[in-house]
Amino acid sequence: MKPSPSSSEDSGIKLRDHVYDGIQEYDQRLPNWWLNTLYGAIIFWVVYWFVYMIAGIMPTDGAQVDAEMARVAAVKMASSIDVTNDDTFWNMSNNGVFVDAGKQTFNSLCVACHLPSMRGKSENPTAVGPDLTDTAWIHGGTPKEVYHTASKGILDKGMPAWEPVLGQKKTAEVVAYILSHHKKGELITVQEANK
Amino acid sequence: MSFGKPSFDSRPKNENPKSKIAKARPAPVRDSVTTINADGSHHALFPADVHGRFTSWRRYSAYLLIGLYLLLPWIPINGYPAVFLDLAERRFHFFGFMLAAQDVWLLFFGVSGLGFALFFLTALFGRLWCGWACPQTVFLDHIYRRIERWIDGDAPERRALKAAPMTANKFTRRVAKHFLYIVASLIITHLFLAYFVSIPKLWLYLHEAPGEHWAAFLFVFIYAGLLYFNFAWFREQLCIVICPYGRLQSALTDDHTVVIGYDATRGEPRGRLGTPEAGACIDCNRCVQVCPTGIDIRHGLQLECIGCSACIDACDDVMTKVERPTGLIRYDSHQGLMGETTRWIRPRTILYGVLLLIGATVAAFAFSTVKPASFLVYRMSGAAYFVGANEVRDQFMVRLVNKRTVPATFTISTEGLPTGVRQSGFNSAVTLEALTESVSPLVLLIDRKDYTGPFKFTVKVSAAEPAFTLSREIEFMGPDARLLEEEDHEKGIKR
Amino acid sequence: MITGQKTTIEFNDKIVRQFMLASLIWGVVGMLVGVLIATQLNFWQANFGQAWLSFGRLRPLHTNAVIFAFVGNMMFAGIYYSTQRLVKARLASDFLSQLHFWGWQLIIVAAAITLPLGLTRGKEYAELIWPINIAVTVIWVVFAVNFFWTLARRNEKSLYVAIWFYIGTIITVAMLYIVNHLSIPTSLLHSYPIFGGVQDALVQWWYGHNAVAFFLTTPILGIMYYFLPKAAGRPVYSYRLSVIHFWSLVFLYIWAGPHHLLNTALPNWLQLLGTTFSLMLWAPSWGGMLNGLLTLRGAWGKLRTDPVIKFFAAGVTFYGMATFEGPLLAIKSVNALAHYTDWIIAHVHAGALGWNGFMAAGMFYWLVPRLWNRPLHSQSLANIHFWLGLTGILLYISAMWASGITQGLMLSATIENGTILKYPNFIETLNAIRPLMLLRVVGGGLYLSGFILMAYNVWRSIRGAQAVNGTMEVYIEPATTKDNLGVSGTFLNAPVIYTGLILVGSCVWMFTSGWLNIVGLIATIFSTLLAIGHFQTRGTSWSEWYEKLLVNALPFTVLTFLAVVIGGLIQIIPMITIDRSLQTEDRVARVYTPLELAGRDLYVREGCYNCHSQMIRTLVPDVMRYGDYSRLGESIWDYPFQWGSKRTGPDLARVGLKYNHAWHYDHLENPRNISTGSNMPSYTWLITGNTDYAALSSKIRVQRMLGTPYPAWSPAMIDTIAKEQAKTIAKELRTQGRYVDADREIVALIAYLQCLGKTWEPTSVH
Repeated sequence: MKPSPSSSEDSGIKLRDHVYDGIQEYDQRLPNWWLNTLYGAIIFWVVYWFVYMIAGIMPTDGAQVDAEMARVAAVKMASSIDVTNDDTFWNMSNNGVFVDAGKQTFNSLCVACHLPSMRGKSENPTAVGPDLTDTAWIHGGTPKEVYHTASKGILDKGMPAWEPVLGQKKTAEVVAYILSHHKKGELITVQEANK
Repeated sequence: MSFGKPSFDSRPKNENPKSKIAKARPAPVRDSVTTINADGSHHALFPADVHGRFTSWRRYSAYLLIGLYLLLPWIPINGYPAVFLDLAERRFHFFGFMLAAQDVWLLFFGVSGLGFALFFLTALFGRLWCGWACPQTVFLDHIYRRIERWIDGDAPERRALKAAPMTANKFTRRVAKHFLYIVASLIITHLFLAYFVSIPKLWLYLHEAPGEHWAAFLFVFIYAGLLYFNFAWFREQLCIVICPYGRLQSALTDDHTVVIGYDATRGEPRGRLGTPEAGACIDCNRCVQVCPTGIDIRHGLQLECIGCSACIDACDDVMTKVERPTGLIRYDSHQGLMGETTRWIRPRTILYGVLLLIGATVAAFAFSTVKPASFLVYRMSGAAYFVGANEVRDQFMVRLVNKRTVPATFTISTEGLPTGVRQSGFNSAVTLEALTESVSPLVLLIDRKDYTGPFKFTVKVSAAEPAFTLSREIEFMGPDARLLEEEDHEKGIKR
Repeated sequence: MITGQKTTIEFNDKIVRQFMLASLIWGVVGMLVGVLIATQLNFWQANFGQAWLSFGRLRPLHTNAVIFAFVGNMMFAGIYYSTQRLVKARLASDFLSQLHFWGWQLIIVAAAITLPLGLTRGKEYAELIWPINIAVTVIWVVFAVNFFWTLARRNEKSLYVAIWFYIGTIITVAMLYIVNHLSIPTSLLHSYPIFGGVQDALVQWWYGHNAVAFFLTTPILGIMYYFLPKAAGRPVYSYRLSVIHFWSLVFLYIWAGPHHLLNTALPNWLQLLGTTFSLMLWAPSWGGMLNGLLTLRGAWGKLRTDPVIKFFAAGVTFYGMATFEGPLLAIKSVNALAHYTDWIIAHVHAGALGWNGFMAAGMFYWLVPRLWNRPLHSQSLANIHFWLGLTGILLYISAMWASGITQGLMLSATIENGTILKYPNFIETLNAIRPLMLLRVVGGGLYLSGFILMAYNVWRSIRGAQAVNGTMEVYIEPATTKDNLGVSGTFLNAPVIYTGLILVGSCVWMFTSGWLNIVGLIATIFSTLLAIGHFQTRGTSWSEWYEKLLVNALPFTVLTFLAVVIGGLIQIIPMITIDRSLQTEDRVARVYTPLELAGRDLYVREGCYNCHSQMIRTLVPDVMRYGDYSRLGESIWDYPFQWGSKRTGPDLARVGLKYNHAWHYDHLENPRNISTGSNMPSYTWLITGNTDYAALSSKIRVQRMLGTPYPAWSPAMIDTIAKEQAKTIAKELRTQGRYVDADREIVALIAYLQCLGKTWEPTSVH
């Protein structure tokens, strides 16, 4: 196996002496920039390791994602309300803006089971969902309990979890709309869940 | 500019190789890469100026391409830039046509179609892409090298300037050149970013503190830095060492592929003007001097050759001057250079042509079936079905996406339901704002006495303007009907 | 200097022919299975309702067949052909060669039978059951003995670069294979790996990553260094580059394993090493590619006509693309989008189809005329093979890139200011990539048809041809001129000492704190400067020593082993010696109940891990979709770990009790009952199959040996406990309207699925 006729002697490129089964080897260099990428990667490793493992400047992955999820939670809260506070819901139920928004959502989604009148089975025994206007509740009738039911759902019975779909704000608006059919302080009863 | 007198001896071969440092590397050889010095350092090339028809055509096409690149984000079509890859919203706009996230798979046709077109072109013309259309070549030759030529002068002047000691004049020129390089890199980068965020948003980014959009800022910084490094220093190394595409293209050529080649039959043996029995090549080395990758085209097809055609123009120029026929270096196939005929129509080119056609047809079909809306029916979370005292119930959600940039009203309907099935409180018409989505419940009930087992039915979504219908087949799930019968029997309910 | 007596040797080329033909046949089989399972992803019915044809069982068959049967046989053919010629000696033992060949084929047949039957260890590329593991180890040792024995009898005292790569391959694969297959049998066909949870994950990907490195890369690089200059008729571009890239490649590769576990619960320091060493790997990998390419450079014109050169040029180019993409994917933020998606599938197929497949084709086309002394049947068929193959790869890779990026973007898309997932239903993202999955089948099919063309071409070439064995005139090399370096010559020299010093220094710096840390840093910098100074002033002293090393096979092997063992030791030893209670992140899982364990083994048997992960990464989209990110203690008793590497379906780490039993029953019976458009197989055989209660007592006994805190139950108690739980679940299913016998497999699997994410108790009360 010979190098090309075009004068490798002229170019000063030397072949190594050894021949392996006819295979010869030059001993040329690859570009220095190529070698520098290796050195660069080593330096990057040193810096990266120092920053994370020795200096401890950066938070851990777990802390980062926790912080990010906290930010998400904060955004949710900022655009919404304290869902553990019954009074907040009652106040919302007196606010036309919230109630109207809730009504709109209710009429596009909830009506499938609870009917536009919100009276469900009371209005039509073949309807799927229970009456939401009476004072008898199956899964708790305080505003925060109603919110819990709407947001997390009662999966075994077919009530879906709405918060992942609607977000907290819209779910709360729907609760406000439901509460607008009720009075604060009215007597409520919790029925057995066998309905 | 010394074009009038082609210098026939600019890099004499017999110059003492040790006299000067790596700069005075001998003529290109087959065994090594010209741009890598023996000590591994980068051998900077000073390609000489060249004029001729290919050079001119390449310049016009490059201006067209650069113009397109710079202008596309500014041209609004249907309210969006002509090309706008809106990553944040997962929407992709092409000349008024929009792909939603669900349709992004169609980009496959873009990628593979480009691949096929290049296969086809490469089979016919070799590395045409590299020399004429690749951004690397287009930006390098027609922006950065133009800047360099303007500031530093022609090839001998550039070489001399590099060797000269640092003076105020050299310093000023260097600063000016690199300043212009950086400006060019920043412009290219910002326009690139505009393809992803749109010009108005980019304008906003530019007017607010970098901290507000640190990711975009970092991107511009790094990307412009890479461009600057690449075009100011790295240059042909990208084509020779990094780019895989050049190699695959080379592997796609055959004996009938038209590439840039040297007619050895006519040219050899080389000899200065007046040498008896010499071939057409006067060994003036012009083809080597103008080569942007530092090869000698007379060695035949080589890894480095990007098919830029500079050597053709250079050689034709010299041949005209010495009054010999041009075309000693030309676009021709291996067959052609051997004096045979080039076959344009060969099984490969036919196959690629056919495949390209099939691909284009499938793509056209796929694009034409992209509906201005999409919908999905899925079960509400919870169980597959619910068995109540009187009925079996399935609950679905219909997720509807309006992919158009105008509001639209959709009708949702069901088909193929057996008798006795009721839909509960279901809104049949849904109006969606531009580019929005909605979910609607679809609750189906059937009385236990009517229930005979699971069945399939169809959900349809239709719109009036433009008229189209989408449908999906869904299964109504329920228990084995005999189980219900047994249960009712136990409870003494009459069916 | 010629010292010995002249003689003519005949090479053992029969074994080369055998391995080559086996590789062709298994290649067709492996790729056919690949096309079948790719079809199943589009048409779930394509398993014809047969358990043994289902995706989860055939995918391991596809990967094992392509890696160990196709590339394995190709590698043995190439190694045996080139080694004999490079060391000027016939293979040491014809018997060992035949044992190697037939043993390996038998192993492949055994794999092809056991994997579809669901007999698996549940670890990727390490699925084969323990009796086969032993056979593989034995045959590998046979190979090693045959190889090193041949080296010992060599008549060429100096070892060529190809041989270095073969040595690296043989010892490293042995090390990786044995460690990752350590297990304790529970029966003749089943075993548990001795590592569990994060330890198993780490060992698995140390193995999995380096199987790619030392089974699919280094031997092929060696083959490249022989066959490519041969075919091109050109000298190798750079000897010094061979030296640099060989040593840096084998040393660095081992460290990069953890990049398969980025953003998971794997401790941060390991993830960090995975990322940074992957970035360092770019240069050595490209060193190999460039040495091949620049060797071809002088013969570039042959690309027009010679299919062998076409395949080599493209193969080397794909190697470059894949090794560029690899470090890119090892960057945490890129990995966050790409991991678990089809982008990874694109990446591995660039390597497998482009690098391995094309290098194999180039080698086969070059070998056939030389092994059968007859020209190739058809050059133009070979060219068509090349064009078909290239087209196939193009379609395959662009489809999978588009798919991976589409799905990755959709899965992380949010609305409402980043508070809600835009596509909460996983199935929606699957729907979006379905067309691409179909195009993948087209691409793969094109590639396969090209491969079949090659098989046909080879068959036509050798049909009726006379097999010939190569011969060579050699001078017998006396034993005294080679292998005489000795211990001091091996270790007491500047390159080895400086490397050792730098390594020790940097490890002290990495793993200590306080003043020791500073000492380590100073020692590293000092020894680096010393080394630079030494080699600057002494010029070529290292190469003189290296030339000496090259005539010494055993010292070379020992140093290679040291280079490959270090990375693994530093990563794995701390993880398996540390007290496991320190690796829990405050969440210690309870042990699985006997029925859950039975269900878990079914999960492993059906290969659910091929499409479902059980690892919620520390990434917001993952947490929003699947729940709180996974902690180490949650999988502490998992033998084997099931973190997974691909999400064709959603993550299951917290699926427990998310739905009721009936949901799972309906879903397993036919996933489309629940998810319209799902491509998951229907697991009807789980409804008819009976849970293997009898195996539980021996399984739990082995789990106890491994440290899982099971009480000292008697076999009868285990049986009772398992059956009780099964009855409870069956009863609950009945109230939900699903009649199923308590002893059916589906009940056990539901028991397992329902405990996922529910087996740990918060240590502090919230």
